[in-house]
Amino acid sequence: MTATPVAAPGVAVRVHARRPAVVIVTLSGLCLLTAFLTLGVGAVRVLEPHAIEALFGHGTADQIRTIRTYELPRVLIAILVGSALAISGGVIQGVTRNPLAAPDIIGVVKGAALGTVFLLWAYPLAAVSYLPVAAFAGGIIAMVIVYLAAYKNGGTTPVRLALVGIAVSALCESIIRYVLLVQANGIGHALVWLTGSLAAIDMNAVYQILPWIAVILPLLVFYAHKLDVLGLGDDMASGLGLSVERTRRIALALAVLLASACVAVAGSLLFIGLIAPHMARRLVGSRHAVLLPTAALLGSLMLLVADAIGRGADPPIELPAGMVTAVIGAPYFVYLLTRSL
Amino acid sequence: MTAVPASGAGAASAALARRLRGPIAFVVFTALAIGGFIWSVSIGPEQIGFGALVRGTFAQGHNTQQLIVHLIRLPRALLAVLAGATLALSGAIMQSVTRNPLGAPDVLGVTSGSAVTVALATTIVPSLGGINQLFLSFGGGGIAALMVFGIARYGRGGLSPVRLALAGVTISLLLYAVMQGVLIAFTQNADLFFFWLVGGVTYARWADIHTAYPWMVAGIVLAMLLARPLNILALGDDVARGLGQNVGRIRFVSLVCVVLLAGAAVGVAGPVAFLALIVPNIVRRIVGQNHFAVLPVSAVAGAALLLYADILARHLTSHTEVPAGVVVAPIGATLFILLARREKIAG
Repeated sequence: MTATPVAAPGVAVRVHARRPAVVIVTLSGLCLLTAFLTLGVGAVRVLEPHAIEALFGHGTADQIRTIRTYELPRVLIAILVGSALAISGGVIQGVTRNPLAAPDIIGVVKGAALGTVFLLWAYPLAAVSYLPVAAFAGGIIAMVIVYLAAYKNGGTTPVRLALVGIAVSALCESIIRYVLLVQANGIGHALVWLTGSLAAIDMNAVYQILPWIAVILPLLVFYAHKLDVLGLGDDMASGLGLSVERTRRIALALAVLLASACVAVAGSLLFIGLIAPHMARRLVGSRHAVLLPTAALLGSLMLLVADAIGRGADPPIELPAGMVTAVIGAPYFVYLLTRSL
Repeated sequence: MTAVPASGAGAASAALARRLRGPIAFVVFTALAIGGFIWSVSIGPEQIGFGALVRGTFAQGHNTQQLIVHLIRLPRALLAVLAGATLALSGAIMQSVTRNPLGAPDVLGVTSGSAVTVALATTIVPSLGGINQLFLSFGGGGIAALMVFGIARYGRGGLSPVRLALAGVTISLLLYAVMQGVLIAFTQNADLFFFWLVGGVTYARWADIHTAYPWMVAGIVLAMLLARPLNILALGDDVARGLGQNVGRIRFVSLVCVVLLAGAAVGVAGPVAFLALIVPNIVRRIVGQNHFAVLPVSAVAGAALLLYADILARHLTSHTEVPAGVVVAPIGATLFILLARREKIAG
């Protein structure tokens, strides 16, 4: 998948003025603060400081149960899934040198959702641990289809890739709706999940996604330097002794795997994977060793806030977090489109 | 239905064949639509003989079979004809005005603007039914259209066709996400939810047809009047101006017509995804670029497509009624992928 020569996204960003370390520490602080403040926002409100006390086992039995079984998993998943999607987006943008690429744009998210829906349709009793595998299969197939369809005359352009990706996503979405309509049982839960929601999260979901993230994240960090070299262009990179195609394939597969695992747990959350890396690039520049952690923190922050708005806006009604991320992300994407890339 | 003015003297028979393509396509699609209409009215859980079918079609009557035909099946088939025709027409006009094969109302956000406005307003304030539903639909579609065209003008030299399409699709994504969120929060009704997500004619009643048809007919007439101006506009803005046309006014009237057609269809039949995108693209392949052929053929082809999609949707499951949009969408999305790949569009 040779990309047409597009400048590495955001090369011109001034880095020297901002110290990545400061940005990362500040963002970590913000993440912790947001997690702390939003812990008790839910159908049963537990005001701070009681929420944090309940987390450590002080307070009424109700408070402790609310926080530990309902709120804590959501906060943890928001942090995990937000950072995983953002890193996946950052890696995909780096590998393809395409600023419009992201797991949600190149079809991975909807493909993964379709894979999951298919598995549940064919084997309603499948163990939840198989869901990420089905999601990964769907995600990678969708991505390959997108690349094949967008590939023409020895290359592709960012905009064509994005358009084909969204078209393939629309196809996956329409098949999902078809399956849901023909297979009407359990439809309500599936609907909520499809919009991207943390409403039904419990501790099991955390244990389900944790291994994937624990394995893939260090691998991608290990690849950060290689991604930088890749950003210099194929010729330069192979001149520096990097096996370009292999690096690209492995990094891309890891990114898709990461995003798919997220979809299996939290549904199709759009736009986090796209815009978190962009914001990170503005803050710390495009060196992947600092870009990826910054993007991860921004992704966590976005999802924490989105989920808090979703469950806190009008309790006990749950607005899906995916709705909030779409409201923030879609205008940003349109803004990216109007700039000449 | 004037056919293409044959240019040059050579190959008279080839020119004649080209001339006849429009009329032939029109006749074929009309026949298909009529066949689909009869098929649509004749199927259902209740077996109804031909006599009752004909009687039920023309009068309400008192016996059960006649009532079923008249009150359930007939409005459904009629709405499929009307919504299919108007959606396809709106697509044909919008593609011409934007000079973009992807520039259909469902890609550029008009359909989703209409659907989301109606769905949200009627969910939150259930008394807003009937004619209000249509005005909400016009308003939402109009605002979405203005938004997308506003974005198109933004940036240096306007957006390329593919960027415009991407912007439109993204705005649709945003609108549908909001709608899904609000509908999930405020209703437990999965049927309603899917109706506003995929569209169809499953729940068609006479009231819908009475509400929508004056606007639809007005839109269709206006569309036919636009055939000549659109032909001239296709020659390019400069040539059109040179021929004494007010280009800005043609664009404006066309967009009003699009909002009228698509808004009326969506207001009563929901956002039948991608119908407006695919029908005109297929029709142009068959009859060429002359709007005197493209517009009428698109209308009958759209009607035929929605009729058959609805028939197919009824055969998908035995336990529930599936909206027709769920059949159109995968076909439409596949064609969307092929179009997005094309050189001319994506450059």
